[in-house]
Amino acid sequence: MAEDLNWAVGGEAGDGIDSTGKIFAQALSRAGRHVFTSKDFASRIRGGYTAYKIRTSVDDIQSVVDRLDILVALTQRTIDENLDELHEGSAVIYDGERSWEAEIPDEITAVDVPLKSLAEDAGGAIMRNVVALGAACEIANFDVEYLDESLEKRFGGKGSKIVENNKEAARLGQEYVQENYDLDHLGYSLETTDNDYVLLNGNEAIGMGAIAAGCRFYAGYPITPATSIMEYLTGRIEEYGGHVVQAEDELSAINMALGGARAGARSMTATSGAGIDLMTETFGLVATSETPLVITDVQRSGPSTGMPTKQEQGDLNMALYGGHGEVPRFVVAPTTITECFWKTIEAFNLAEKYQTPVFLISDLAMSVTEQTFPPEAFDMDDVEIDRGKLVDDDTVDQWLDSQGRFRAHAATEDGVSPRAIPGTTDGAHMSTGLEHDELGRRTEETDVRVQQVDKRNRKVETAKEEEGWEYREFGNPDSENLILSWGSNEGALVEALEYLEEDDVDLRVISVPYIFPRPDLTDEIEAAEEVIVVECNATGQFADLIEHDALTRVKRINKYTGIRFKADELAEQITEKLSAEVPA
Amino acid sequence: MSSDVRFTDFKSDKQPTWCPGCGDFGTMNGMMKALAETGNDPDNTFVVAGIGCSGKIGTYMHSYALHGVHGRALPVGQGVKMSRPDIEVMVAGGDGDGYSIGAGHFVHAVRRNVDMSYVVMDNRIYGLTKGQASPTSRSDFETSTTPEGPKQPPVNPLALALASGASFIAQSFASDALRHQEIVQEAIEHDGFGFVNVFSPCVTFNDVDTYDYFRDNLVDLQEDEDHDPTDYEAAKEVILDSDKEYQGVMYQDDESVPYHEQHGVTENMSEIPDGAPEDAMDLVREFY
Ligand SMILES: Cc1ncc(C[n+]2csc(CCOP(=O)(O)OP(=O)(O)O)c2C)c(N)n1
Ligand code: SF4
Repeated sequence: MAEDLNWAVGGEAGDGIDSTGKIFAQALSRAGRHVFTSKDFASRIRGGYTAYKIRTSVDDIQSVVDRLDILVALTQRTIDENLDELHEGSAVIYDGERSWEAEIPDEITAVDVPLKSLAEDAGGAIMRNVVALGAACEIANFDVEYLDESLEKRFGGKGSKIVENNKEAARLGQEYVQENYDLDHLGYSLETTDNDYVLLNGNEAIGMGAIAAGCRFYAGYPITPATSIMEYLTGRIEEYGGHVVQAEDELSAINMALGGARAGARSMTATSGAGIDLMTETFGLVATSETPLVITDVQRSGPSTGMPTKQEQGDLNMALYGGHGEVPRFVVAPTTITECFWKTIEAFNLAEKYQTPVFLISDLAMSVTEQTFPPEAFDMDDVEIDRGKLVDDDTVDQWLDSQGRFRAHAATEDGVSPRAIPGTTDGAHMSTGLEHDELGRRTEETDVRVQQVDKRNRKVETAKEEEGWEYREFGNPDSENLILSWGSNEGALVEALEYLEEDDVDLRVISVPYIFPRPDLTDEIEAAEEVIVVECNATGQFADLIEHDALTRVKRINKYTGIRFKADELAEQITEKLSAEVPA
Repeated sequence: MSSDVRFTDFKSDKQPTWCPGCGDFGTMNGMMKALAETGNDPDNTFVVAGIGCSGKIGTYMHSYALHGVHGRALPVGQGVKMSRPDIEVMVAGGDGDGYSIGAGHFVHAVRRNVDMSYVVMDNRIYGLTKGQASPTSRSDFETSTTPEGPKQPPVNPLALALASGASFIAQSFASDALRHQEIVQEAIEHDGFGFVNVFSPCVTFNDVDTYDYFRDNLVDLQEDEDHDPTDYEAAKEVILDSDKEYQGVMYQDDESVPYHEQHGVTENMSEIPDGAPEDAMDLVREFY
C-alpha cells in the first residue's frame, strides 16, 4: 500500500475551504506528489459544514480512504464530523483564540495556532487559512516553498503585495508550530519528486476535451454538478472562436445546441438531475433529424431534487431509454478523469460519424474530484477529428435526386446519410422530428416509415461493427471472481484489489466505459464463477443490463448514501458478497 | 450564390395542406418575397418552424430548415445564428407555439436581440389541434375547451416584447400582401431581433377574428404621419391601445446592437481544425 498522507480542511461554507484545499493540493502536485481530492459539501452557500480532503502519495492513488492524518478545523463540527477518521497519530490544527473551545479527544494531538492574529500580523485576518497551511506544512515536514509557488499561482493576478503577504502568513504559521510544538513523533514526512503533474477534475477534463475536439458552441443552464463545465468553457472557448450561452432553461439549452449542431458547429450541452428530464423531449428530435449532438449528464443524487451535492449513478436508464418512441443513441460513460477528456473527444466523433445524439454520462464524484496526472495523459497530438460524411460544394452533387434535391436522409447501406451544412450550394433541405422521407419531408407512408426507422437503427449496427467497444481490465485475468463496474467506481476498485490481495482474494475487474453500444461480456461472465456488479445506485441499473445480456443472475453491490465508494469499504463488501448466495 | 434569386426559389415543390383561404398562405408568400428581396438565397438561409398549422411553413419553403418540437423554435434559431453569424435566420410559428408553450423563450430571445427575424402567424386559435383557445383568444371566445370563453385577458405579444426590451416590434396582416412583405423585409434588415406578429386568419375555427374583421378595423401606422417608430413613448401608446388593431412598425430602436456584436461572436463555428488546435497543450499547462 502506498505510503500516504490524508489531510483535510473543514469549516462553514463561505470560509474559503475550497480555495484553501486547492492551494495545498496544487503545492503537493508541484512537489511531484500524487493527489486525490474529495469534497464534503452541502447545498448552500453560507453556513453548513463543508470540507476539502486530500490524499497524497508518491505513488499513484485513485481513491479516498477512511483516515485523516492532519485536519485543519475551523469549527467544532469539522472535528465532530471527522472523529471516526481521526486516529492516534492525527493532528488537529485549530485556533484556540477564537470563541469556540475545541473539544478534541485526548489521544489526538491538538495543535493550537492563533490563526487569526498571525494572519493579521501578515496583513489581514482573511489569510488565516494560509497560516493554517503553513502550520500543516510544518507538521507534515513538507517544504513550504512549494506552497509559495501555489500561492503565486493563486494570487499572482492580484499583485505582488498580496502574494508576499500570503507567503508571510504561511511562514508565520510554520514558525509558530516550530517554536511551540515538538511533533516529530507523529513521523510525517512528505517526500518530493521531480515529476511534473497537472491537477484537474472530471468536469475540467470534459471541458478541455470539448475544446480539443473542436466543440465551438455550448448552451447550458446552471445546475450542480454540471455547471463547472460551462464555467470552464466560458472565457476559454472564445479563444478558439467559440461561444457559450447561458440559456433560460434546459429546454432552450438543448434546442440551442441542436441549432448550433445543425448549422455545422460541434455543439454540446451539459446538465444533471432535473435538467436531463427537461431535455428529454428533444432527444427524439435530435435522433430523428439526425443531428450530431453531445448531451452530457453529470449525475447527482435523485430523484427529483434529491441530494444535489451528493454522488449517484442513477440516470443510466434515463440515458438509455429516456424519451418517447424509440431513439437510436450512443451512451458513453468515462470511468476516470483522463477518460473524461478522451471520451468527450470520442463522443464528438461518434456524434458526427453517425449523426446521432451521444450521451456522455459522468457523475458527481468524478466531477468534483481533483487528481494529478502527467500532462502527457492529455497529449493533444493524439486528438483525432472525424467529421463523418460532411459534404461540400464539390461532393454534394452525388447526393442530389433527379430533380436536384439534396437527399439529407438517404437510406444508405450503413445507415449514415450525407450531411450538408448551411452555405453548401444545393444542400438546402428540411429536417424535422416528424417522420420523413429521404428529402426530409413529412410522410406517413408505411414503407418509407419502415425504411427510415431501419436506416436510423442501422447506424447503431454499423457502429457496433466499426468501433472498438472495449473495456478496461485490472487484477488477475484468470480469476474466477469477476467484478463489473461503470463510471467513477474504477479507482476505488483498483485500490480495493490491493487490499484483497493481502487477504489472498484475487479478482478480475472490468470497468466498462461504453453503455450503449457496449462490449459483449458473455464470455467473460461465463468464464467466471462469481460475478458482482458495483454501482452507486439502489436498484442496480447496470446489473440489470448485464443480466439481460448474459441471461444469468449476478450479485450486486449498491451504494446510495450519496457518498462514493471507498477502496477499503469495497474490499470488505466484495469479500462478503463472494461468500453470499446468488440472488434467486 | 446567384444574385438573381427569385422568391419562387424559396418555394418547395410540396403542396400546402392548409385549408383553402388560410391566412398562412399569404404570410408565407410575403416571407419568401421578403427573403428574396433582401438578397438572400436558400443555401444561405435557415428557417426554423414551430409546431402547428403555422409551423408547416418550413415544409413548404425551400432553404436549410428545421421543424422542431412545440414551442422551441426560437432557441433553435438562436443556436443557428450564434454559431453561424454568416447565415440568415428566420423563425416562424403560431401564437400558441410562441406565446403559450414557448412564451419563456420568446421573452429571452427578445432580450438577447440576436440578429434574426421572428414571424408569428397569429390566428387567435389553436388550428392544428382543431380549435382550442390560444393565448391571444378573446376572453369571451367560445371553443371546445373553453365553452364560456377563456375568461382571462389575452396576451398582448407586442407589449410582452416591449416589456422584454425588444429592438423591433411590428404587426402585419396576411391579406395585405404588399404591406406584409414590406414589414417582414424591415424585420430582416433590422440589426437585431425583428419581431413581426402577423394577423393570419384561421377560416376553419375562428369566426371572430376574420379577414373582414381585420379589414374593417385595421389602422395602418404608415398612414399616421405622427407615428415615429423610434419614439418609445409613441410605440407604447399604440401597443397598449386595446381599442384598435394596428399594422406597421410600432417600434424600432435605431441604436440596437445585436447579440453577436455585444458578445464578439464573429466566427463561422463550423470550421474546426483536423486535430486539436495548435496551442491546445496550453489548456493542459494551465493545470500545472
Ligand atoms: C409538447 C406538445 N404539446 C402539445 C402538442 C400539440 N399541439 C400541436 S400544435 C398545437 C397548438 C398550435 O397552435 P398555434 O401555435 O396557435 O398554431 P396554429 O395551428 O394555430 O397555426 C398543440 C397544442 C405538441 N405537439 N407538443
Ligand atoms: S385550421 Fe385554420 S390555421 Fe389551420 S390550416 Fe386551416 S385555416 Fe389555417
